[in-house]
Amino acid sequence: MAVETRSQYQEELERLEASGLGGLDLVNGSLDRTLEAVEHQDVELAALVIADDDRIDGRYLEVHQSLITLLATQSPVATDLRLISALLHVLKNVERMGDQCVNICKMIPLTGNEPPADEGMVKLILDMGRQTHTLISQSKRAFEDRNVELARDLVRQDDVVDNLNRECFGLALEIGDDPDRREWAMTMLLAARAIERIADNAVDIGEQVAFVVTGLFKEFEDASHPNG
Amino acid sequence: MDSRDPTESPIMTEQNPEPQADPRTGPDQSPPMVSAVGEPAAKQQRRSREIGHVELQSLNAYYGSNHAVRDLSLDFDSAKVTAIIGPSGCGKSTMVRCINRMHEEIAGARSEGKVLLDGLDLYDPQIDIVAVRRAVGMVFQKPNPFPTMSVFDNVTAGLRLTGASRSELEDRGREALVGAGLWEEVKDRLKAPGVSLSGGQQQRLCIARALAVDPEVLLMDEPCSALDPVATLRIEELIGELKERVTIVIVTHNMQQAARVADTTVFMLSGELVEVGPTDRVFTNPDDDRTEQYVTGKFG
Repeated sequence: MAVETRSQYQEELERLEASGLGGLDLVNGSLDRTLEAVEHQDVELAALVIADDDRIDGRYLEVHQSLITLLATQSPVATDLRLISALLHVLKNVERMGDQCVNICKMIPLTGNEPPADEGMVKLILDMGRQTHTLISQSKRAFEDRNVELARDLVRQDDVVDNLNRECFGLALEIGDDPDRREWAMTMLLAARAIERIADNAVDIGEQVAFVVTGLFKEFEDASHPNG
Repeated sequence: MDSRDPTESPIMTEQNPEPQADPRTGPDQSPPMVSAVGEPAAKQQRRSREIGHVELQSLNAYYGSNHAVRDLSLDFDSAKVTAIIGPSGCGKSTMVRCINRMHEEIAGARSEGKVLLDGLDLYDPQIDIVAVRRAVGMVFQKPNPFPTMSVFDNVTAGLRLTGASRSELEDRGREALVGAGLWEEVKDRLKAPGVSLSGGQQQRLCIARALAVDPEVLLMDEPCSALDPVATLRIEELIGELKERVTIVIVTHNMQQAARVADTTVFMLSGELVEVGPTDRVFTNPDDDRTEQYVTGKFG
């Protein structure tokens, strides 16, 4: 009785999942170049990241459209429906992460050719970026493996990013009275904030993993009720 | 649920001291299956008292040596729509046909276990089988109006057997057609042959015919599979309206239809009950792997 059916539909769904999650690899590439541009104040590399964001947006649009087509034509239900719903969320996260990289890269020319950079702050931002790279990879693996434990662990990893962000803020407070240095520090705080948001997006992807597996959506951590 | 004393029921023939219900008596004297016309409020009240609750207890059904329904226990809630889904041959139609005792009409077919309607065992030897089918109406896959009868005669065919007066036939015939959402379309052609209507209208005519005798339960076996999408949506809308007054059990191969119309969805496989639950849960997060596989179309 158990005849295999709908193999084309299943293959298409698998392809779209791979393609959507592949967007996270694009984001990591973009994030790595962004960090390099921050480290070396590389305006040209920053411009490249900005231009390259079209690829991430393109991936978003293409997979999004194909998922809508599947919804319209295949009436997916149960796990398939949850997977498609989750992928639509993940795509939005991917697109947002790419935009945050663009935001950072747009700041780099503002700091000038020979900015009065504070080495300690740059190091913290690079550490944040590397940690966030790990989070993104982990969120992808958790999704692919439907691993809720691994997804939940993203919260712990994200705490590291949050702490680095706070340290960054502390350093900025003590940057001194030189107006140029203060301007640079404030710009870098915005960059740190953007990386911190990218890491939050990775945690959101983890929440979608839990939804696909359990059918229940629950925020791992509720920012508006931190003790709730 | 406790079984009611069958002797108190109107669908008992032998020990029921009352003769066949007099159509002119008011709703108070009238037994539940032949309630009076023009008393929607009274009817609403009856519904709120949970009339039309069907309970299957360890139901088994056979065609000769073929064990088609296996030890199935299930409740159908009052004034709710329950959809039965499952692959061909899973026993869903057989199960439904046990509820109005149509299964046993097939040569070599038999069933075991209990079917209770509001606590009354429909397989009790003293039960009047005609009254059972009046209380538990059925609509089939293919619209089957009586071919030689007019629209109006089709609707009132069942009522006529109860000895209803002409004026009552007219009232209740109209009420049934209104209830089936067909009145506006056929009010000027009540004398036309039933089979002259479109397929979708014929199916609603069959629903009207079932409603005319004021059933507690309406069984629908693939009621839309011979209809076009518009006629199908019309019937689905009607199901939503009717569930206020009658318990509906619908067998369907169209899972989207089950998802649209049913409050509760039942999944059967190889004669057995696999899963029963609120429709939204069954279609978003089913408990059983086999349900998941079936509703996502991984087998069928």
